[in-house]
Amino acid sequence: MSRRGPRPVNLRLRRILVMLPWLMDRGTVSTTEMAARFGLSVDELIADLTLASLCGISEDPNDLIDLWVDEDEVHFGLPKYFERPLRLTRPEAFALVVSAKAASGLPGSAEDSALAGAIAKIARVIGEDSLSGVDVEIEIPDAVDGLSAATAAAEVLTIDYWSPTTAEVTHRRVTPLEVFADGPHWYLRAFDHGADAERTFRVDRIEAWSTTGDIDRRSIAPRRAWFTDSPDVSIATLIVEAGWTWVLEQYPLVATESRDDGSVEVRLVITSERWLQRLLLRLGTHARLVEPSHWATLGPETARRVRERYLRT
Amino acid sequence: MAIHQLERVTNLLTVLLSARRHVTFEEIRNELRGQYPENLVAARAAFERDKAILRDEGVPIDQTVLGGDQAGQTGYRVLRSSYEIEDFGLTPEEARALRLAVGAIRLGTTWSAEALWKVDLHGSIDDESSGLGVELPVDERLPVIHRAIAEHRGVVFGYHGRERRLAPWGLLARDGWWYLVGRELANGEQRTFRVDRIEGRVEVDASIVSEIPDGFSVREAFPSDPKLLPDNVDVGADLAHVLIDHTDVASVLAQYGDASLIERRADGSAVVAVPCVNVRAFLHWLFGFVERAEVLEPPLLREVVVRWLDEVTGGRS
Repeated sequence: MSRRGPRPVNLRLRRILVMLPWLMDRGTVSTTEMAARFGLSVDELIADLTLASLCGISEDPNDLIDLWVDEDEVHFGLPKYFERPLRLTRPEAFALVVSAKAASGLPGSAEDSALAGAIAKIARVIGEDSLSGVDVEIEIPDAVDGLSAATAAAEVLTIDYWSPTTAEVTHRRVTPLEVFADGPHWYLRAFDHGADAERTFRVDRIEAWSTTGDIDRRSIAPRRAWFTDSPDVSIATLIVEAGWTWVLEQYPLVATESRDDGSVEVRLVITSERWLQRLLLRLGTHARLVEPSHWATLGPETARRVRERYLRT
Repeated sequence: MAIHQLERVTNLLTVLLSARRHVTFEEIRNELRGQYPENLVAARAAFERDKAILRDEGVPIDQTVLGGDQAGQTGYRVLRSSYEIEDFGLTPEEARALRLAVGAIRLGTTWSAEALWKVDLHGSIDDESSGLGVELPVDERLPVIHRAIAEHRGVVFGYHGRERRLAPWGLLARDGWWYLVGRELANGEQRTFRVDRIEGRVEVDASIVSEIPDGFSVREAFPSDPKLLPDNVDVGADLAHVLIDHTDVASVLAQYGDASLIERRADGSAVVAVPCVNVRAFLHWLFGFVERAEVLEPPLLREVVVRWLDEVTGGRS
């Protein structure tokens, strides 16, 4: 892992304080394994360990932390300090509770007594009130369980997918890569064989799916930010009244800028004209589209079309 | 060459952890000869910076004003018992379950991975994945609130331009947002706040004692559907009848269930009952269909929709 600029002292200290007891537990470890474990490059690891080996209550070598780096290995000698890691910080305790409680709501976890056991032990150490003070609610559509099992087994699927833009259902052959929740929705990230590209599908819009019997194992790169890999998107600029930016909260924004009158100028990714129509209806008179100019009348035109329904009945 | 601050801070911690009694700044400076500047003011400032780093990292530095020969001076030490993490005693299966949990729940910070390094000291690295992921971004105010709830203390923060003093009862993550529920001291009423809308920092106020009501469940504290949260628009009914085009019926029934179906029409369209207690949230939902949905009842809600659309068109229809 490479980073720009020097790493902050506090982050380096945090790593050292957890790496030393870990190393003590093992005695000798390869630098590659240790660097991977703690999210450092080998060079960063060696720099931190070398510095740690100069530390102690005095300059007497007998008082220094007893470790040395030799070729591709790190060796630990006699324990003198930092035999146990520092207790959990507030953010760490919070994150551990949240992760454990959230995971306990995922498919397959109900019968996972190991996770329940881990949660009980966390409660014993950090306190029952720490555990009960936070809750994570995750609604899980029926399809998620089966899709995640198919993902784990690398099974090629066929799916019937409904698109809100076209209001049509398309039949696709996909290799599932990951099932994930983001905000109120679940998604299937998959390789779409028809499009010969990766696509992300909202699970509640998959009307039917089935396995094909084919296996297709693919390496998975970390998921990129929404829409960063879509070639056919454009950027729109809107000025939104103060108090109405909540409408935009579920959308990925490129930039926001507060204006003197309290309104906010936002730039956001437009995935389709239909998508923008929805957004402009939702914002009503509380926002104004600035760019692109060819959509300047899209809001009123869309509202007029919807209004016609209410004339008929 | 000046000593690296990281080396000096690590040395300071070894001194504080090894001390059998509280030690003064002068004693520390003497132990760490040459590591702090010779100038006393500069040395004291560097010492304060080092202590701040240790405290920010969660090191419990105990300090006390000494008596006897050192009367009036401040002494410092770190008790090993309060520094070291307790052994969680996880079995290999429990540790593996926690690793999977931490891998699946993506908080957007390194906090959970760092916690895992500490509680799973003996664990190995594995690339196992549950095949599931949940994006659940957190911010730095949440651990402060979490600790206050656990310690039954109050919190103070800005919200909608006003200072709020709250006895916090619980935190809930729902639909990707974090909510804080508690009793607001100004009016004694139960209130819900979106944590990302809190303005600035959250301060803990130990003078407020937070009594969490028996049987309180943060999950039950407010409705999950924003369309069920009352707002200031009364349309005379809590449920709207909405005509949905055939293209979108399956999607709506998947969301609301077959129980919401009132009428299926010959052209495949359907009338469904959808909550409209919160009219603003209802309109947000309705306009997601653009022209493929229409409010039939209640009449007042239909009027609200028509007025909204007329305003957007500039009154022309």
